[in-house]
Amino acid sequence: MKIPTDPVTLATPFFILSVILEIVLARFGKLKARYETKDTAVSLSMGLVSTLSGLPIAGLSFAAAIWCYHHRLFTIPMTAVWAWVLVFFAEDLTYYWFHRLSHERRAWWAAHVNHHSSQHYNLSTALRQTWTGGVAGTWALWLPLSLLGFPPAMVAIEKGVSLVYQYWIHTEAIGRMPRWFEAVFNTPSHHRVHHARNPRYLDKNYAGILIVWDRLFGTFQPELDEEAPRYGLVHNLGTFNLLRVAFHEWIGIAQDIVREPRHTLGWLFGPPGWSPDGSRDTSATLKTAWLARQEAKPAPVKREAA
Amino acid sequence: MNIGNLIQLAVSAVAVALLVGMAALMTRGRAAPPLDEAAARRLLAEEFPDDRLESLWLAADGRGGVARAGKWALVLMRIGDGYLARRVVWREAQAAQSRGGRVTIALREPGAPRAVLAFAAWPPPTAKGEAAT
Repeated sequence: MKIPTDPVTLATPFFILSVILEIVLARFGKLKARYETKDTAVSLSMGLVSTLSGLPIAGLSFAAAIWCYHHRLFTIPMTAVWAWVLVFFAEDLTYYWFHRLSHERRAWWAAHVNHHSSQHYNLSTALRQTWTGGVAGTWALWLPLSLLGFPPAMVAIEKGVSLVYQYWIHTEAIGRMPRWFEAVFNTPSHHRVHHARNPRYLDKNYAGILIVWDRLFGTFQPELDEEAPRYGLVHNLGTFNLLRVAFHEWIGIAQDIVREPRHTLGWLFGPPGWSPDGSRDTSATLKTAWLARQEAKPAPVKREAA
Repeated sequence: MNIGNLIQLAVSAVAVALLVGMAALMTRGRAAPPLDEAAARRLLAEEFPDDRLESLWLAADGRGGVARAGKWALVLMRIGDGYLARRVVWREAQAAQSRGGRVTIALREPGAPRAVLAFAAWPPPTAKGEAAT
């Protein structure tokens, strides 16, 4: 019998057991978690179908990785510890930019948006995965690793490790980890910020495993006690219909292009919410409006000592 | 896709059904409370912080509401145990179709095509008993 080496396949029983545990313990008030039946059904169904939706593109992406590896600059051995250390950092940096692109450009946001479409934040949310990631072509971002000389199988395993790591951080049950851990790694606290729709928290904390990339590239935002995250999208969905959840942003892009084809590039590659006349909300406009409101608030009066 | 993959898929589908059933069982009797005026105002203030509410009407079943803010209708509709909030031109919301005690306000978005709210009368009467215009 062949033992699977895909970390996601190996971790699947753990995913199932931990969701059960979170639901049951939350029911009896032992930990903080909020579940809603239809929301859970959508998250898990998205996850289930996502395992199939990648298949049509899998051949192409694998062939592209093999081609890159055949034209590699170096030969990096899969058996060396240093090579695994190197691929860990290289993959995690790639993930950061993939994730940032997936939030800041609409064509890739269309594939990623459904991961953020739940108004809940629990372990089932982690499994709310895209059906259109392969079509969006973001897998191409990992090709330079094979071109550098990392074997495609090594890259695939490391991608799986990253995905499995990111599972456990989708929870409200864990408050904050020790300070040293919060400083270096992506944690439930950091990722709650990432899933929040509060203007202050938008487009922050793109990290996969290491939060240091956000600190380095200026996208880090700590979770603040005075501002609890509100989860979901800036404009939350009004349906639990799986097809609408999976494809609504793609349909929105198509409708916009049909209506105003001369702005096709903007509709595809502008930030989510971009419109030619600026009538829609982007993260930037929402943040600007929020900042203006903060500045307009009267400063707290200092009480002088008697 | 080989037989092993199919078995894995089937087992995963059963696991999904089990987990959804468990979520339903464990959240039974914990439905979100009906929306009252204070909660609606709080939600609207979060969603539309720059709008000044002139009037607010709550749906009869407590599953949403509509507020008027100048030329806008601010629409709230429960989805699961959360809410959807949208700003719609007041005149369009006012012209929405009402049937069987439910008004359907077109939102025209792929992810939120419409808001369906329980209102016995539409457009909603003002405090003076006249239809809001």
